[in-house]
Amino acid sequence: MIEVLFEGFTEVLKEVTIALAPLILVFLLFQAFMLKLPRRQVAIILKGMALTFVGLALFLQGVQVGFIPVGEEMGKALGALDYNWILIPIGFLMGFAVITAEPAVQVLAIEIEKALSGHINKKLVIYSICIGVAFSVALSMYRVLTGVSLWCLIVPGYALALFLTRYASSEFVSIAFDAGGVATGPMTVTFILSMTVGVAKQLEGRNPLLDGFGMVSLVAMMPIISILILGMVYNMKEKRIAESESRGEKRMPNSEEGCKEWSGDKAVKRAERPELEEAP
Amino acid sequence: MNIKDTAKEVFLAVAPIAALVILLQVTLARLPAEVFMNFIGGAVLVMLGLTLFLLGVNVGFLPIGEMIGSSLVTKGKLWLILVAGFVLGFVVTVAEPDVQVLAQQVDSVTNGSISKLAVVSFIALGVGIFVALALLRIFLDIPIKYLFIAGYILAFAVALFSVPEFVPVAFDSGGVTTGPMTVPFILALGVGVASVIGKKNASSDSFGLVGLASLGPILAVLLMGVFYR
Repeated sequence: MIEVLFEGFTEVLKEVTIALAPLILVFLLFQAFMLKLPRRQVAIILKGMALTFVGLALFLQGVQVGFIPVGEEMGKALGALDYNWILIPIGFLMGFAVITAEPAVQVLAIEIEKALSGHINKKLVIYSICIGVAFSVALSMYRVLTGVSLWCLIVPGYALALFLTRYASSEFVSIAFDAGGVATGPMTVTFILSMTVGVAKQLEGRNPLLDGFGMVSLVAMMPIISILILGMVYNMKEKRIAESESRGEKRMPNSEEGCKEWSGDKAVKRAERPELEEAP
Repeated sequence: MNIKDTAKEVFLAVAPIAALVILLQVTLARLPAEVFMNFIGGAVLVMLGLTLFLLGVNVGFLPIGEMIGSSLVTKGKLWLILVAGFVLGFVVTVAEPDVQVLAQQVDSVTNGSISKLAVVSFIALGVGIFVALALLRIFLDIPIKYLFIAGYILAFAVALFSVPEFVPVAFDSGGVTTGPMTVPFILALGVGVASVIGKKNASSDSFGLVGLASLGPILAVLLMGVFYR
């Protein structure tokens, strides 16, 4: 068992050396000419680098022995089923499982809440990203099964995203495009991508390169769109409030109602307990 | 360094999908037991590896990223900052686990005709160039919106001339560059540069760096496909 797990480990060690060598070299150059850190600090940094080396080697080994081959086999097995449409709901669940566990999403949601000065609830941001990602993995499964070209999805997708930038501030556009990367963690690239490649290998007339890949790009695109839509809705709401205020109408109760509707009960709770806002 | 928190974070990232895979194994997929055992063993290695990796990056790489960023900026030479942005973007991307995995998969699907090394190099070149451009943007104060619009339109234009097989891989590589190694490194650099220029919105200027950096590999891999033709 253990022997099987470490098959080809020397090759992986070589790859990890190639991967980390440039970065270490750059550090040593900077250390020699610019940083000139004390020896003790250098020792700590070198220990950290050694840890990174071991970690990356084990990770890649695990991916190569476990995730990629089993992901592909599973894709093939499920693709061979008569009812292989079941991959679409499975994809949805996998997307959900991947994204809810992603710590970076929490960080992003807090960032957005700050950018919109707390008018949009963090939970709403997280849910819209989760549903977006789950939907995009399901869509990728549908794409492998039917062979729809990636073009048909990313061209309209990005066209929509670029169009929506008209309705958001530069800062918000930046956050949205940064968010694209947040959703694509190591599990997406290793396991789900291997699965779509496996399905593409199994089905006749599918090219694994053409139909299997592209999954990550859909996962990266969806949060951009959902966050920009969020920004647009927020802008519209802002405008409406501003208009009604400029008309001098006392419509405060109404706008507050809109706010409550927007961010759910949480917002009400937060208004009562401001300290909640500080908690990450 | 907090081993417990990191280990918990990694476990929570791997566990849900591993549970789903086990569920699929016992219900629908029914792969041979020896094959499936590799998944369990692999999952253990991945969790262990990722934990050590993240701990190591925090101790060994992030501090030097910040130090290099701030020491460069105090020299105040634009060309030096741009060159360093390129070099750091490049070497950090080469070390990014997600990039390694994607390149590995491309290599194995094409039976080595598109080699791992070539994919990694092109992705890293793309990130390097775009990190430098993104830093230049902060100096020139160009609204970031226009860069995204121009960048993606350019990407789709280049995609028309690229080998069709490269298009999905190219757009995927835009997503994989933003991993646990690259993002903190690039952000540290961006915040440093923006704060030295002394503009009022230093923190909001560093937003968008990651988004721009992921445009680079899309274009680079598409160009690779143009030459491949």
